[in-house]
Amino acid sequence: MDLFLQRCFDSLFNGAIYASLALAIVMLFRSTGLLNFALGEIGMVGGYTALVMLSPATVATSAFSVPVVGAATAARLPGHPFPVPVAVLIGVTMSALLGAALYYAILRPLKGRSEFVTVNATVALLIALAGLTSEIWGGRNLDFPAIFPDNPDDFVTFFGGRLRYTTIGAWALQLGLIAMIATLLHKTKTGLAFRAITSNIEAAPLMGIKVDRTLALAWALSSGLGALTASLVAASTIMRPGMMVQVLILAFAAATIGGLDSAKGALVGGLLVAVAQTFIPAYTPLPTELAVVAPFLAMTILLMFRSQGLFGTARVERV
Amino acid sequence: MSPTPPPSRRSRTRRAAPLVLLGLFVALPPLLLTRPELEDYSQAFVLVLAVLGVSILTGTTGLISLGHAVFVAIGAFSVANLLDAGLPVVLALPVAALFAGLAGIVLALPALRVRGPYLALITLGLTIMFPPIARRLGTLTGSALGRTVRTAPFDPPDFLHLGARLHMWNYLVCLVVVGLWFIGARNLLNSRMGRAVKATKDHEYAAAAFGINIATAKTGIFGISAAMAGTAGALQALIDPYLNANDFDWNMSLELYSSAVIGGLGSLLGAILGVVTLTAVPWLNDTAGLLDNASLAFGIGLLIVILVAPNGLAGEIQRLRTRLTAGRTKAPSDADQPDPNNLVKRGTTSSEA
Repeated sequence: MDLFLQRCFDSLFNGAIYASLALAIVMLFRSTGLLNFALGEIGMVGGYTALVMLSPATVATSAFSVPVVGAATAARLPGHPFPVPVAVLIGVTMSALLGAALYYAILRPLKGRSEFVTVNATVALLIALAGLTSEIWGGRNLDFPAIFPDNPDDFVTFFGGRLRYTTIGAWALQLGLIAMIATLLHKTKTGLAFRAITSNIEAAPLMGIKVDRTLALAWALSSGLGALTASLVAASTIMRPGMMVQVLILAFAAATIGGLDSAKGALVGGLLVAVAQTFIPAYTPLPTELAVVAPFLAMTILLMFRSQGLFGTARVERV
Repeated sequence: MSPTPPPSRRSRTRRAAPLVLLGLFVALPPLLLTRPELEDYSQAFVLVLAVLGVSILTGTTGLISLGHAVFVAIGAFSVANLLDAGLPVVLALPVAALFAGLAGIVLALPALRVRGPYLALITLGLTIMFPPIARRLGTLTGSALGRTVRTAPFDPPDFLHLGARLHMWNYLVCLVVVGLWFIGARNLLNSRMGRAVKATKDHEYAAAAFGINIATAKTGIFGISAAMAGTAGALQALIDPYLNANDFDWNMSLELYSSAVIGGLGSLLGAILGVVTLTAVPWLNDTAGLLDNASLAFGIGLLIVILVAPNGLAGEIQRLRTRLTAGRTKAPSDADQPDPNNLVKRGTTSSEA
């Protein structure tokens, strides 16, 4: 029983990671109906930016890195190196700005083109941004300092299970963000515009809603969440190129299981994926690498037979 | 979508020119290149076949597969294991292609129910999960260390007088197999099935109303496309007999897909141009010493193609030819060349979510 509880607690941290990226996916899907394959890489840009803001010494790798966004430039900022939360915030802002810029530069010109073209555009962004990050920051593994206290004895005990501060912190952050986003969506005028676009994108501009600005905001929020996830992943493991790709697929699985347009679904889906990832190697003979297969199969089957997932809205399409 | 203007006596010479060019590109390399260069050249040939597989799938059905590296891997590892089992190469190659094709038919099942972006997601997930799974398959894939392919009994026949010049024999084999697939693909695009699938892409329900079995058409093309990628993998295993599951990763899948898009979807010329770009961009980058890694340039190139040339490089060439020959012969105008992407749009709105 203790071991079971401990495994539940352990999976909570990964749950927070998948939930936050799934939330980013849902934010964008609700407003634009788009699956953004570049989300992980957009987040990586923010993650690396946070790293530059934290520790200049470890980051200077190639001759190109210094004049571009490199450590030397960052070191001239007043107060550098920044404390971890500030650095992560800067990274999140960076990704958010990048997301909004990408919307204006690439996705807006493609308005009215088919879904096929926008998917291609996000695939191209995935390739280009992966190239960009490895160009600027090199292909090496870099240490990312802990965001929450993460020493071996940093935990509280619940019914015999150890709940680490990192897990508590990640979930506190997560729930705080969800509260903020919910307030934004339901109590502000921007949120009203957001919901109007979700409900009918053709009619929204006729009602005086600034569609571009709202969609750019959706991109910014989604990308910022991506950067936060990238920082959390890097802090719990290591910062390396390509680390977000698998996280992104699992987050897509989480979002699909929860229903692609449901924020609540993103949370539940994220938890389910993380629990599957912990419990399958623990209670079946399958090795750890194969634990990701179950969420993937769940995603495939749900997309085939119940695309609204657990909490999503069923879509009805007219021929 | 193959560039076939209406035949006339005048256009015959103009149509012969690219064939002559192609002939030179095929015949000269074995005479001019050194052994490692010719091996690289054969690999590029093989890559063209894999890209053509992706290109035919997306160009005709509008289905997006970001996971074709998996089929390449299935072809490569199948041929390795079939050779171990004692099959001769002439049998192992088609059987490996068949295995890949069957895998493609299995993957076509979700493709029948799921719209474009979601299929892209499923296939991307597949290609990301493939290397970790393959590393667990023991001697089939050689686990994490990879394995070698025993190609020893596959020597050139005596009448070719190639002796120990195995690289030339490999090149010849690649040439014949890729050439056969090209002819097959060309005929497929103009066949009843090819037209049926294209009609499905234009408007799924209208196509169904005309008696086209959408499921069969899509499954068939998916299987053929996967078999092409599998053949490419099998040939690659013959040229370079060292296989590692880690090499068939999502980077490879994305490279195949983006080469197909850059070259021009559903076009034979496009597949060639796509691989030329895929090879030329890193080469130029290395020569000029610009970036550490060419994928930034490649990604930006893909974006530019998506934004300004929806039919890819092959489409642009076709447009230039049309402009040059306009006035001399009655060539099809731009208006006759519909933007394939907009056709996809109409197709997808009618399919189920």
